[in-house]
Amino acid sequence: MRKFWASKVMFFMVTTLVFAGLFSGCSNPAEMGGEQQQSADSSPKVIRLEGGDYGLPQPYTTHSRGPGRYKVNLIFDKLVEKDESGYIPWLAESWEVSEDGKEYLFKLRENIQWHDGEAFTAEDVAFTLEYVKKFMPVVSSAQLLDESFVQEVEVKGEHDLIIRLGEPSPIFIEELFSISMIPKHIWQNVDEPEAFTGPESLVGTGPYQLTHYEQEHGSYRFEAYESFWGPDQKVDVIEFVPVSDPVLALHNGDIHLSDIPIDSLDRFWEDESYEVVEKPGVWGYRLRFNMERKPELQRRELRQAMAYAIHRQDLVERIARGGGIPGSPGILPPDHRWYNPDVNQYEYSTDEAMELLAKTSLESASLSFELLTGEDQEVRMGELLREQLADVGIEINLRSLDSQSRDQRIADAQYEMVLVGHGGWARDADYLRARFSSTDGDWVNSIPGYHHPQLKRMLEEQITMVNEEERKKTVMKIQELLAEDVPEIPLFMRTGYTVYNKEAYSGWMHVFDHHNMTHNKLSYLDY
Amino acid sequence: MGKKLEYLITFLVILSLNFGLPRMMPGDPFLYISGDDNDIPVEYSREQIEYYREYYGMDQPIYKQYGGYISDLARGDLGFSYTHREKVSRLIINRLPWTFLLVASSMLLSLFLGIGLGTYSAWKRNQWKDSLLYSLIMILSEIPAFLIGLALLVIFAAGLDWFPLSGAKTHFAVYASNWQHGMDIAKHAVLPVITLTIARTGGIYLMVRNSLATVLTKDFMRTARAKGLKEHRIRYVHALRNALLPLITRIAMQLGGLVGGAVLVENVFSYPGLGTLMTTAVAYRDYPLLQGIFLAIGTTVVLANLCADMLYQKADPRIGQGVQRK
Repeated sequence: MRKFWASKVMFFMVTTLVFAGLFSGCSNPAEMGGEQQQSADSSPKVIRLEGGDYGLPQPYTTHSRGPGRYKVNLIFDKLVEKDESGYIPWLAESWEVSEDGKEYLFKLRENIQWHDGEAFTAEDVAFTLEYVKKFMPVVSSAQLLDESFVQEVEVKGEHDLIIRLGEPSPIFIEELFSISMIPKHIWQNVDEPEAFTGPESLVGTGPYQLTHYEQEHGSYRFEAYESFWGPDQKVDVIEFVPVSDPVLALHNGDIHLSDIPIDSLDRFWEDESYEVVEKPGVWGYRLRFNMERKPELQRRELRQAMAYAIHRQDLVERIARGGGIPGSPGILPPDHRWYNPDVNQYEYSTDEAMELLAKTSLESASLSFELLTGEDQEVRMGELLREQLADVGIEINLRSLDSQSRDQRIADAQYEMVLVGHGGWARDADYLRARFSSTDGDWVNSIPGYHHPQLKRMLEEQITMVNEEERKKTVMKIQELLAEDVPEIPLFMRTGYTVYNKEAYSGWMHVFDHHNMTHNKLSYLDY
Repeated sequence: MGKKLEYLITFLVILSLNFGLPRMMPGDPFLYISGDDNDIPVEYSREQIEYYREYYGMDQPIYKQYGGYISDLARGDLGFSYTHREKVSRLIINRLPWTFLLVASSMLLSLFLGIGLGTYSAWKRNQWKDSLLYSLIMILSEIPAFLIGLALLVIFAAGLDWFPLSGAKTHFAVYASNWQHGMDIAKHAVLPVITLTIARTGGIYLMVRNSLATVLTKDFMRTARAKGLKEHRIRYVHALRNALLPLITRIAMQLGGLVGGAVLVENVFSYPGLGTLMTTAVAYRDYPLLQGIFLAIGTTVVLANLCADMLYQKADPRIGQGVQRK
């Protein structure tokens, strides 16, 4: 009998212990996060977004992956900014370009102060352009670091400076957008920018100041800088907090905006307090060929046949659950400002594919390729591609690696065909030059064994054209050539949806080349 | 003396593996071609990659890098993370307490539960109560921890709103007292701790149950009964004490997991532990950070083994003075 009771007590104790632990957290009903109650006008406008640690938002300490650099942009300004349609004057009020396109005369805005009260002048700009050559920031422009590109920066007055280039460049303004201006009076004594993390390292001219950062939690709090020179801040406080599940967090009100998977959209469509926005397709998957390792791939008809045989819309439906748009054979995607819709679209057709394959008179034994993919979803994509290509008699052997190993193989040209996804497809069309005209063994972007003299010539010409209309025409023509020659196949661009809580804030906007509305500072300003 | 040498050699091997293994993985820490969904990695040109390789001393011959690693380590310098742009030691120290909180409390809880339930089961061996408990615990411990975590998240955080959805504390909050601060942290830790506890109780329960069942058949149990000892004394002093010996090894092994053992659960709850740090360090080939985390894990394992050795000597009279274990 006693035996029975002893075990009963033991059992009871253990159960109590578990439940004590379970409910201890609930004993205190006072909400600790409640100090940020907001009403319409009187109290500050606070918005909360998904956090995660992306480093101290300083040009040298932000992480190279992830959205850290956009936080840097809340504190620091650049000479130019982006809006819906292109680059706009920012710290630079205006600029003039000399006839030969080699000399830029910048006029800076007056009465701009650094967060510590010192005046922002042309000296700071000249200093920054020098400093980034000495110490490369996380985000930097290869061109601006090149001695032969920026040959001279001459300060003409407190608010005027001339930048002289070695050769004209239509993308100079885009390159300038990569450089955050830092104050000379603080940074001139800094020799180890990565270890410079005190409050002084966060003195910028931008609309916000960092008031809280906890690295291990990935939480940030930015508050509007009262004496900001530019448009008024519509948001007074931006908070970034860790999020486990974005759908639940948005629904719970823990955060006010998030990308939401298509399958979870319903509850937000129906709810009046949310707005659902489709994102532009500027993040895409490309199928790349190694024509050196597989000379068969130098046959244009084979590549064209693949373009016909791959059902890109089907990939959108089955891989992206409808949240995407098929890639354009002209490479620049439909959401690119210089997209050419009038190129050969290669509508899915196995007949066309077979016909082209027959023309190559390649034996079926040589129509076998290894396709390298990353993990997870990319493996499923690879399987779909294998099925689709098998329908026209092309055999695909799948090989999956973790993404860093796959990337290394791309850089070493150790692949036959490879599937790779990345962002940045809406950037200036000059990225086509790196992809399709380079033959110097730098295989990160370009195609081993691919030569197209006419294409190469045009790609090299467009970068010297100062006249924008003329250049745009050339880029349109380049897309036609690319679609005709199919040096690689853009499979699809991911779009997807962003959902935000309208009651919390509704001033969100997309800039012309980016898919995330929280990443540009105009979203928070009365612009 | 021999023992000390053994530990020293183990430690040196760990250091060399720490250095060697990350570098043997294919991939370059500064090469960003692909991006995760929505991630736009910074694209570096070849010159920029060269710049960083030189900046971080990766252009040096490998033996020099190894020498540098060892001599830095001797000075207590764990290096500088490529991706986090921060001292590795600071990254680890900031996160260690959080992982420790999760793992230590769940280990204590699962020990209590495992020993309690295991004893109960062993005593009720072959009765329906034992079978029911056994099946229940086996089912629970076969479910992957992150699934349990998700279920708890959906029910208790999203549905009932008893607990927060994520993180380790309420951010930007001002606490009236330390007690309030502590309660906030406890509230955030409840779901992850329960998840880990559920995942770990099964193993301990099984071990206690089986080991106790063996002990109960031993001669000294009959002797104890014959001596007319009280039942609870037989149960908890004679039987359980002997049954718990293998548990010490088990706990020592689990202690090794103190640092990185909660990866999945940390991910589910977006909890700021070392596990999540390790995942990104592997994905991005952040050598110094990997070395630092592996070193932390390696050190805890070695220390835990040391503790187990000493505990064993105390707990088991057969081991120790003059008697070799092997």
